[in-house]
Amino acid sequence: MIATNEPNAAALSRMRRSERRAMLMGLLFVSPWLIGFLIFTLYPVFASAYLSFTDYRVLAPPKWVGFSNYTDLIGDHDYFLPSLFDTIFMFLELPIALTIGLALALLLDQKLRGIAFYRTLFYLPSIVPVVSSAVLWMWVLNPEHGLMNAALHSLHIPGPAWLASPAWSKPAMIMMDLWGVGGGMVIYLAALQGVPTPLYEAAALDGANGWQKIWHVTIPQISPVIFFNMIMGVIGTFQYFTQTFIMTNGGPDNSTLFYAMYLYQNAFQYFRMGTACAMAWMLFIITLIATLVVFKSSARWVYYEGEAR
Amino acid sequence: MISAAAFVGCGSKPASDAGVVHLKVWSMWSGDEEKGFEAVLAKYHEEHPNVVIDNLGAVTDEKSIRAIIAGAPPDIFTIIDPTSLSTLAANNALEPLDTRFADAGFHDVDFTPGSLGQCRYKGKLFGMPYLLDCVTLMYNKDVFVQAGLDPNKPPRTFEELEADCRKITKRDSDGKLTRIGIHPIDVSPAVIISMFDGKFLDGDRVTADYPNNIEALNAYMRLMNDQGGYPAVQSFASGFGANTGQFNPFFHGDVGMLVSGEWNPYWAYKYSPNCHFGVAPLPYPTNHPDRAGSVWLADNIFCIPRGAKHAREAWEFLAWTQTPEAQQLFASTLHNVPNIRVELHDRKLTDDPPFVPKNPGDRDPNSWRPAYGQFLALADSPTATYFPSMPVANMYVNQLATAFDGVGFGSKKPEQALAAINGRVQKEMDKYR
Repeated sequence: MIATNEPNAAALSRMRRSERRAMLMGLLFVSPWLIGFLIFTLYPVFASAYLSFTDYRVLAPPKWVGFSNYTDLIGDHDYFLPSLFDTIFMFLELPIALTIGLALALLLDQKLRGIAFYRTLFYLPSIVPVVSSAVLWMWVLNPEHGLMNAALHSLHIPGPAWLASPAWSKPAMIMMDLWGVGGGMVIYLAALQGVPTPLYEAAALDGANGWQKIWHVTIPQISPVIFFNMIMGVIGTFQYFTQTFIMTNGGPDNSTLFYAMYLYQNAFQYFRMGTACAMAWMLFIITLIATLVVFKSSARWVYYEGEAR
Repeated sequence: MISAAAFVGCGSKPASDAGVVHLKVWSMWSGDEEKGFEAVLAKYHEEHPNVVIDNLGAVTDEKSIRAIIAGAPPDIFTIIDPTSLSTLAANNALEPLDTRFADAGFHDVDFTPGSLGQCRYKGKLFGMPYLLDCVTLMYNKDVFVQAGLDPNKPPRTFEELEADCRKITKRDSDGKLTRIGIHPIDVSPAVIISMFDGKFLDGDRVTADYPNNIEALNAYMRLMNDQGGYPAVQSFASGFGANTGQFNPFFHGDVGMLVSGEWNPYWAYKYSPNCHFGVAPLPYPTNHPDRAGSVWLADNIFCIPRGAKHAREAWEFLAWTQTPEAQQLFASTLHNVPNIRVELHDRKLTDDPPFVPKNPGDRDPNSWRPAYGQFLALADSPTATYFPSMPVANMYVNQLATAFDGVGFGSKKPEQALAAINGRVQKEMDKYR
């Protein structure tokens, strides 16, 4: 036993040495990414956590102020809290986008001639960069010369001022975003193709009609994908920025001064970097909680193949 | 290792440059304006062959600030928004210039009033103007005639401005606005407040709800009501093209009046030669007759950042920009207002010499100069105003705009909206004590 053990141990330590070598080589090869990650991601994350407890005006060194950035924000009924509530309003978009995306995916899942053309047609808007589509929609929604109000006018409906009206600015942005629903739609479409046909056949044998098939077969089967889109939607909504930055700059009457927009103003227009960092960390925590809530709820409605229930 | 060596190599200048100073200048101008600025730099190099100025155009204030923080500033940079000077000065980011200013033999009286004030923070000089903007009232004479107004009688008082706006405002059969009296966007809250002899600061105290400021806000809302109400005017104005080209709604007669600057006569000449317009001082309220003849000023400011490698040579360039020749040279391409007082009345800049067309249809290339000259004359006004130097001016101006917007859309009351600014801005101000 002992005699055979010795070479084994030697082999083991040799192995370890070569493993160590392999590991070093591996680290060396990933080091461009690793160094980038440490310097440009991890360090700023920790730095922003520290800065959120300081008064940091960029040009002068940060001064420690404890929790006052946080308490000031929570007590700010003029800008901070409205910006959070305006952002939460945008969550209206989530169920609408989900329903329309899924409905389109179901329609485009039909075996029709030229279906590829229709799929392309509905997917196309979602590959237009947000900045371009925002600039385009500024003119579509223009109350004076816009296509939208021209169309409404021909139906004898007086069009609202859209982005120039505090009441309509958020609905207008939601409407614009729905134009790009194709991104989610494609994911649903891929999931729909993965639903096993025997399930539909079994449902048909049991006398299920079309609607029942969707409700009892399709939706449970693709629920992981709905879940995925929902999580991405939650995170994306909290970070809502580009559209308002391009189209309204927070106006009219601060109606589109969303959380990320107000954060940007603090950081880059007012040089209140400490406040901006505190906002970023609060946003992180809020997003984390919201995501966890969705995750928790997922046990009730998301179906995974092979999962004991 | 190899790449590190290459980086080091990049930093050093070729040896043949010995004795020649390279000044790094970051400037705000782009396009034709940048070409104008580079002509100025070429002229300087011609007179000072030992100084080569490398210009980087279209630089934003944020970029300059970032470079200062990073410890890699240029030798000179421009500030687009004059109110940023105080922010930089308060954070000790700029070279003070008072000694150099005195040593160069400059005197305040030789400068266009207000042009130096914008370069000072707490009494110390931190920048030099090189031309400035003079913002005042422009009125479209064709629109005045169409509205039954005298094309040679611009509104002198705020009350006359209101009456004229009511007459100019036009609607179609559906009741939608088709023409309004005055462009609502360029009339910034700060300008309106200055027209009512308002007050932004009292020493170190923020006075957003000063009685005259409230009066100004109420008057502005009245002016909007004269034209169909704030929301309707905003909606109509959101269909306007940018003021900076051929789609300017003022040149097209969609608005009768515009509060804007001295660059417009040349642009009108270039883009809308058929537009006839006049220039007048900002209207004053009848209960503030001392505000008669006022205009709003905004400098193009040049600063030397702390840590500039060639501060002395940078100053020598800035001192040169104050010479009549340098003022005239840049004013003739940028069409901004000279900041040296004698140049305001330089007839080379403002006169339209007799013109004999060589071919039928030839246009007089100087026909825009007399209107431009009116801006220059108005810039010399003793009642001219500008936003006071303070470290959080950017935030203050934004908050004023938000307050005006909130009152316009009916979500805020004037007194409360302005009073709320006091607390917010004061809190930031106090951090600079």
